[in-house]
Amino acid sequence: MKPHSSAFFLLCAAIGFCSQSCSAPEGKDLAIRVRCAYDPESLNPLQLPNQQAFDAANLLHVSLLQADFSKKEIAPALAEALPTAELVGDSLTRVSYRIRPAATWDTGGPVLATDVAFTLKLMFCPGVPNETSRLQFGFIQGLIPDPHDPRRFTLECRGQGTEYQQATGDFFILPEAALDPQGELRRFSLAALQRRPQNAPDSGLAAVARRYRALAPGKLPGCGPYQLTAWEKDRYLAFRRKANWWGSRLRPTPFVLQARSQKLAFVIIPDAATASLALQRGDLDIFPQMPAREFARLRKATAARPALSFYSVPSYDVVTAGFNTRRPALADALTRRALSHCFNAAGLLQATQMGEGQQTVGIISPLDRQNYNDSLAPVPFDLAKAEALVRQAGWQRRAGTETGWVRTRPGSKQPEVLQVSMRYRADETTFATIALQFKAAAASLGIAVSLLPTEAGSFTTALRTSDFDMYVRTLKGNPFMFNLAPLLHSRAIGQSNTTGYSGAASDRLLDAIAVAENPTRRAQLLRKFQTLMQAEMPWVPLFFLPTRIAASHELTGLHVTGLKPGFALTAVERSAKSTPTP
Amino acid sequence: MALLAPYLPLPYPPHESDLAHVAEAPYSMGSTGLHWLGTDPQGRDVLSVLVFGARTAVLLTLPAAFLAALLGSLAGGAAGFWGNTRRLAVPYWLLALGGLWWGLRFPVPLVGAGVAALGVAAIVLALLRPRPIPTWPVPINAIVMGAATTLDSIPRLILVVAIAAGSGVSAPGLLALLTLTAWPHSARLVRAQMLRIRTLPFIEAAHAAGLSSCKIWLHHALPHAIQPLRTALPLSIAGLLGLESTLSFLGIGLPPDVASWGRLMSAIRNEPDAWWTLALPATCLIASILSLNALGRSRHKSL
Repeated sequence: MKPHSSAFFLLCAAIGFCSQSCSAPEGKDLAIRVRCAYDPESLNPLQLPNQQAFDAANLLHVSLLQADFSKKEIAPALAEALPTAELVGDSLTRVSYRIRPAATWDTGGPVLATDVAFTLKLMFCPGVPNETSRLQFGFIQGLIPDPHDPRRFTLECRGQGTEYQQATGDFFILPEAALDPQGELRRFSLAALQRRPQNAPDSGLAAVARRYRALAPGKLPGCGPYQLTAWEKDRYLAFRRKANWWGSRLRPTPFVLQARSQKLAFVIIPDAATASLALQRGDLDIFPQMPAREFARLRKATAARPALSFYSVPSYDVVTAGFNTRRPALADALTRRALSHCFNAAGLLQATQMGEGQQTVGIISPLDRQNYNDSLAPVPFDLAKAEALVRQAGWQRRAGTETGWVRTRPGSKQPEVLQVSMRYRADETTFATIALQFKAAAASLGIAVSLLPTEAGSFTTALRTSDFDMYVRTLKGNPFMFNLAPLLHSRAIGQSNTTGYSGAASDRLLDAIAVAENPTRRAQLLRKFQTLMQAEMPWVPLFFLPTRIAASHELTGLHVTGLKPGFALTAVERSAKSTPTP
Repeated sequence: MALLAPYLPLPYPPHESDLAHVAEAPYSMGSTGLHWLGTDPQGRDVLSVLVFGARTAVLLTLPAAFLAALLGSLAGGAAGFWGNTRRLAVPYWLLALGGLWWGLRFPVPLVGAGVAALGVAAIVLALLRPRPIPTWPVPINAIVMGAATTLDSIPRLILVVAIAAGSGVSAPGLLALLTLTAWPHSARLVRAQMLRIRTLPFIEAAHAAGLSSCKIWLHHALPHAIQPLRTALPLSIAGLLGLESTLSFLGIGLPPDVASWGRLMSAIRNEPDAWWTLALPATCLIASILSLNALGRSRHKSL
């Protein structure tokens, strides 16, 4: 019996040792693990597909200006100071920057104005996936380097926008030496590249595009504080702080350049309940955007055991239902307005956010009192009005049946049927509740709605390829910039304008907002724009979400704010006096 | 009760959310009436979801079980009756192979269409000029048992989950999926019974009387061979009920607006305090499966 017992205990000990070493990877104690709902898909800094990708890219790259979460304002990052702007005539703005002398690439080479010029040109280089940046930064028409200081430069912008001082610094700077060692892009001016047709052949540009595309995800050299050490698709992304991060040499280190934790990891857990369990077990450190009920339950449950900290502040994230205006049935504003009355936004806010958050008339936050159009009222839940609008749009009840609406457009023999499919991310219970409520309301009017809960990656693809009639998603905003062109301008159709909505009036307004000369004028235009959107209804803004974050009590420096992603990831660190996680 | 669900005086329809009363405990007052069994995290009345979930379960699993039994009976009965001895004229072989090539979209589908056309031409020629046609064996037993063994060798849940998750099935798709993965058990039972029946004197007498083998199979052998299914059918329904609930629990079964016990149970993941969303549908599921098992046992005794 005895020898058997010893062997058994030895076996148990060996298994225990193995499982211990398997479940505790190297550096577990150091890495700060943040929950991600889905994979970033791409880390191409010129075209980041989602917030997760933006958060990850923010660790690898640095832009001229970044949001300072401690002061809730835009602060210089790669730039030495906030830029100065000079109005030239009545249609030009010059914004001047100087890059910090301490800023270097990983090779030790300095970050120079030539790198900024290269990045801007890369945004317009054919063959490079850069559609989003092309739209966003098309207003910059040239870069004038300072002949006496290689770090100083001036950006020349079309128009005279009040946002230019901030908008011109909102892109990641990429190294010319690593991506274009032959200096192929130097042969072209920025304006020439902007004018150049996408399919015009040039071997030099093709070589740059090829080199850019050939880089493995996350291997694009950046001057950010972290480097990507591992990326397992749909599982995790791991980052390690660079040994010679130039930002740490600055004294005092500006908040936006702080990189306190040695290791960071994004752990991809689509299911919120699983993520919550992981947080409680200590396998996660930060759970951003926690669902309302779970947040409340956990806060109540852990009141006696202070292992977690809870934060809730208003955010600039708005839950929105969008229409595919390219679909014939949804092409007219009356039908879209009719369907917008089927959303019970007040009830949904109560049910999904436990009443926290704010109903809205548009995608400008009600917190922004200057720009929010408070003369409008949120779209009410009114099925009688919805039915009246459906009839007004020319739809008629299908003969001989209680369900279904049809209409025949002039010149068309085939009648259209009013039935829609609604896509939403399957892992979001808020979206599921919205979809179910909408379907039930629409069904009471005889409008058939089919629900398509979709995996996050497929959802992005479906939006890009217009494979939807309606969608529910969150749009993330900020209080600094109001360039809405990528979302609704006709130039962005087929790219980031997922609704496909276009109109001469809205295009004019969007262009005018981008170049508004002062905040008062911009506020007037934004208010007008909200009125137009409520009339045209390419989307139904339902309510603004609060930012809810649950984090390990061991962490300090979260600086929770309504700005995306809700906290300052690079400023977070474990406190020296760590409390053991139960 | 499941079939009468639409006519029952339920206080709330199953698809409507009472947004002001989300995840409420049983016997709580709602917007327009009492939520006898509470609400789920999306505000749907649990009583209504249970009743309509029963209807979904019946409407999905009963047809699937009957169709699987039918498919299994035909396949297993044919395998047991003819074994590997049946032969088929070459033109029919060509037609079947060509059709299969074309139907399964193998490379160059025209090859399949050409082979099938060749088969049709040969059949027409044979009808016009009657003469002996070469035949090839049809290993019915090997095909049926091979297919059944292949399906049995893959865990059923994994197979169904993989197909359902990959293709995003609808209710009719789920019905087809359940049928196509449930027939092997019936086929094995009927085949085993058929192997015994085909040697019985009345079958030999039918052969001696000159009846065609197809007629003997369909009219005389098969009715006897399917007797074991009377016991197996309730058990098959119970199995399918469990499978459907599992799929719905995992969120890859029915559409989200269709009431389902499995989907209701999955609500506990988002609302761990809402015990009623797990306990009540689980009780219904357990009671249904136990009842079906008892029914199967009583049938077995009566046989």
